[in-house]
Amino acid sequence: MQRPQTQVAVLKAADADDPTRIDEVAEAADLKPETATRAAFELEDDGLLAVTEGTLERYELTDEGTQYVFESLPEQDLYQAAVEAGADGEPVPMGQVIGVSGLEGGAVDIALANYARKGYGVVDSGEITADPGAKPGQDAEMDALEAVADDRLDEADDDALSQLERRGLLDVRTETLRSVRLTDEGINALMAGVEAAETVGQLTAELLTSGEWADVEFTEYNVEADAEDVSHGTEHILRQTANRVKDTLVGMGFQEMEGPHVDAQFWINDCLFMPQDHPARTHWDQFALEQPDEIGDLPEDLVSRVRSAHKEGVGPDGEGYRSPWAEDVARGLDLRGHTTSLSMRYLSGHETGELEPPKRFFSVEKVYRNDTLDPTHLLEFFQIEGWVMAEDLSVRDLMGTFTEFYEQFGITDLEFKPHYNPYTEPSFELFGTHPETGEVVEVGNSGIFREEVLSPLGVDCDVMAWGLSLERLLMLMYGFEDIRDVHGTLCDLELLRTTEVLH
Amino acid sequence: MPVVDVDPDELRYLTGRDEKDDDELRSDLFDLGLEFEGWTEDDEFQLEFAPDRLDRLSVEGIARSLRYHYGDDRGVYVPNTNSAEWTIRVEDQPPERPYVTGAVVRGLDMSDGALESLIQVQEKLHATMGRKRAKGAIGVHDLTMLKGTDLRPSDTQSSGLDLSAGQGPTDAEEPRDGMAGDASVEPVGGNAITYTGVAPDEDTFVPLDSDAEMTPGEVIGSHDTGQTYGDLVADFDRVPAIYDAIGLFSFPPVINGRRTEVSEDSRDLLIEMTGTDQWTIDHMCSIVCYALEARGGTIERVNVEYADDGPGEYAGRTLERPDFETRTKTVTQDRIESLLGVELEPEEIIDYAERAGLDATRVVTDGGVAFEVEIPPYRVDIIHPLDVVDDIGRALGFNSLEPTYPDVSTVGGRNDRSVLEDAVRDTLVGLGFEDLLNFHMTNEVENFDRMNLPRPGDADADDSPVGLADPVTIQEPYSEDYTVVRTWALPSLMMVLENNTHRRYPQDLAEIGLVAGLDDGRNTGVSEYRTVAGALARTDASYEDAKARLQAIAEAFGKDLATPATDHPSFIGGRAADIMLDGETVGVVGEVHPTVLVEHDLELPVAAFEFRLDALE
Repeated sequence: MQRPQTQVAVLKAADADDPTRIDEVAEAADLKPETATRAAFELEDDGLLAVTEGTLERYELTDEGTQYVFESLPEQDLYQAAVEAGADGEPVPMGQVIGVSGLEGGAVDIALANYARKGYGVVDSGEITADPGAKPGQDAEMDALEAVADDRLDEADDDALSQLERRGLLDVRTETLRSVRLTDEGINALMAGVEAAETVGQLTAELLTSGEWADVEFTEYNVEADAEDVSHGTEHILRQTANRVKDTLVGMGFQEMEGPHVDAQFWINDCLFMPQDHPARTHWDQFALEQPDEIGDLPEDLVSRVRSAHKEGVGPDGEGYRSPWAEDVARGLDLRGHTTSLSMRYLSGHETGELEPPKRFFSVEKVYRNDTLDPTHLLEFFQIEGWVMAEDLSVRDLMGTFTEFYEQFGITDLEFKPHYNPYTEPSFELFGTHPETGEVVEVGNSGIFREEVLSPLGVDCDVMAWGLSLERLLMLMYGFEDIRDVHGTLCDLELLRTTEVLH
Repeated sequence: MPVVDVDPDELRYLTGRDEKDDDELRSDLFDLGLEFEGWTEDDEFQLEFAPDRLDRLSVEGIARSLRYHYGDDRGVYVPNTNSAEWTIRVEDQPPERPYVTGAVVRGLDMSDGALESLIQVQEKLHATMGRKRAKGAIGVHDLTMLKGTDLRPSDTQSSGLDLSAGQGPTDAEEPRDGMAGDASVEPVGGNAITYTGVAPDEDTFVPLDSDAEMTPGEVIGSHDTGQTYGDLVADFDRVPAIYDAIGLFSFPPVINGRRTEVSEDSRDLLIEMTGTDQWTIDHMCSIVCYALEARGGTIERVNVEYADDGPGEYAGRTLERPDFETRTKTVTQDRIESLLGVELEPEEIIDYAERAGLDATRVVTDGGVAFEVEIPPYRVDIIHPLDVVDDIGRALGFNSLEPTYPDVSTVGGRNDRSVLEDAVRDTLVGLGFEDLLNFHMTNEVENFDRMNLPRPGDADADDSPVGLADPVTIQEPYSEDYTVVRTWALPSLMMVLENNTHRRYPQDLAEIGLVAGLDDGRNTGVSEYRTVAGALARTDASYEDAKARLQAIAEAFGKDLATPATDHPSFIGGRAADIMLDGETVGVVGEVHPTVLVEHDLELPVAAFEFRLDALE
């Protein structure tokens, strides 16, 4: 029969009559004790070997004990010094004896304690006498110490051993001692002949299908060593954050919008009741396009309603703006400066048909601003945009909705600071406490759309909306300081690779 | 957002609240929405606020808001005005800038910060309501330095202009705007100045910050302020000019003359404002007059007399200015309550309105109980009844309201494109790609040249490799790095590889992102779509590595993949193929051309692909 090599060696080293200690087996088989033990148990499982367990007390010298074997016990040194100082006649002051002995520190106390115990003499009132009859050269403890050191344990006196253990010169460990003995079946197997199987590095299909795997032995690995680096695919952290936002909003009943990045100023600004001479509408703030420069069609009736909202206002007391309004300007194309252009398209019924309240919509999409690139500003970034359309919404509903949303991202204690936007009234800047630093930071802008926005779109209920930069949320959540490391072609792959997954 | 510099001592003086220390003032200002940004070199507060309350562009206006906030003032305040002694005659004014308004303020002490505050409110109004002086520009003059012309037809102008051509004195019966209930226009008499137009080289004056007589044309060409604002009138045949009996003294909207310069010793001022919209300049004028009145000035009206045949909608009419007429907005109690989400007693609504500096009167309308709310002239931000609700909410304190989650049920969901995008991204990540997110904006050098692609104009018309499309281009770009929207995503991946050569390889990068190109067939003239781009940068990267991953993606989305050989300048000849999914060509795959690799400082091969996301639908 074939058995793994270690088992064969153990089998051959075992005896049929007397139990053999496993360490002896290991030595005979040239195996590590743990390898031999594992093989013995495997053989026992197959009934070829009997394993018995006993215990063994093992003595080991401590560092201090080892030192005394090579030198002498401190009390011996003290006796020697006392004799030299003449203490075998008259009591001699202790300091003098110790000076002669050369003992220092803790050794002095050890020497004094054992000196008296062993009857080497008397220590009294600061004076030492030495018993001239004492024989420190024949010390049972020293003998036992030397016996342990020389592995002549049977010669050592039991009392002396326990004394040494108490003095901390010996460690006693109880070991499990396994012994093996061949069973009849084992003997039969040996007589029938046992061959060693090869060791195997790689488990192969052949080994598995042939059944040989049962007889082979696997080379042992260094399982603690570091493995090679592996590149793993990861979703970009800004995408992860975006998806977390999307999941949260979908869970709150919001539907996702989408629409053009290149859009007419009409949808980006005019529908939002931004006067055409508003400072933010110059190309210094928004990317106006050279090519193409004008949208093909705008819905005519909507254009005239928007123009009227700008020029005359909405309702009997509405005033509108005293600003010029030209359709040519509205037709101009921009890279959208906010995704509120999508909200306008949806609310107008232009994207998905007339909307009936209640509705909730959102998007997490890119917007473009003609800004200067710096650690916290990009020319393009993601805007989280969301709105709720319902009858009779109040600012309290707005506060409740956003409180709920931000809590999902660990931002609590949301504060609402009254603010001004051309397209919402009332408007609020949202402030929250940074989950890490405790700082109060702006986390968004919100409000209830003005009638001058909603009425031309044909919406006759309330719509509340808010916007927030996704990058800002990301920086709050991850504590990044330079957004350019993350978003864009200057990104640092190492940072993307090693950023901890938030969950 | 506007920033104003405010001396806290002035605030204490103007509010009469000497006991307020700087910290208390800052906290009170924050409650009003004015944020402390820091100290100026002169130990003044720098305050930033949203650009609605333009009446707060002056320390006097901020002090007024504080007085309402403290409850020291309530309700609408309209200053008294004295009857007009001065007239602004408007004749042959430039049609591009037809409107003018004005006021006289007497009895001022312009020392101790008053002059600085006036200059500041003037500058800030120019920047905001005045749209950098294009819509409205303010000129303030020392009245004692002006010599009015007699209001009889005359040709006393040294310029020789015939300012009276064919016109008699203004008839008091002419229609006019002005304060309701005011006395009829004073009989013709008193002093007049004239707003008119001159050819740029027709007359001279000594502008501010200069010692030399200059023509308006010379001011535009060589005076500092002229160079800044000259563009506003550069296309005019005749530029705006204001004359008194002595001659040309102001060249709006560019610069005033030195003769009438206001100093700390000035006591009586003439304010004139020219612009493209009468309402706008009238209300800018109200804001300035309210500020000067708070300084102890007495407002005196002026007549603005538009000639019969002049441009603009007021030709032939005489307006009495400043116009302190209040406006009224009516809003129902229901609307106030539904918007704020609280029930309020009528007395509370009236109280909050008065605390906001408004007056409210309860009326019963068809729509139920409503409030007629009176708006003072400096509140240019209130243009709809709902703006009043905001004021009531602020007075009530929005943060005292309890948030409620709206009891409205809707069904959430993602759109198809973003769901598909995520599914493909998951597959890419499963294949070991690092997902990237790059800018959509780039430049033609990165998008074409460095990828070894020709520019669209230089390419053979029949030849249209992936990436070669007319790009969307930005008007007057700030930065030469960002001038177009990318037509493909692979250049972005190459740039990331270029910027990360010090990082561990292999670098398997992918991006699903937007690209765009001109397309006449679209309403916006642009075709926008997402592409799936991947690049494998590793020492043994080969065509097969890229294709293997493509196969996996095609299989995952149930598409038949074919890769017929193709030529593409970005890839090595004989190692590039079109990507065909279900028989349609949707992209390209291959080993990146060494020219492109060397251009991006890469020292190892890169295999790459790019195709349209919608091909996986």
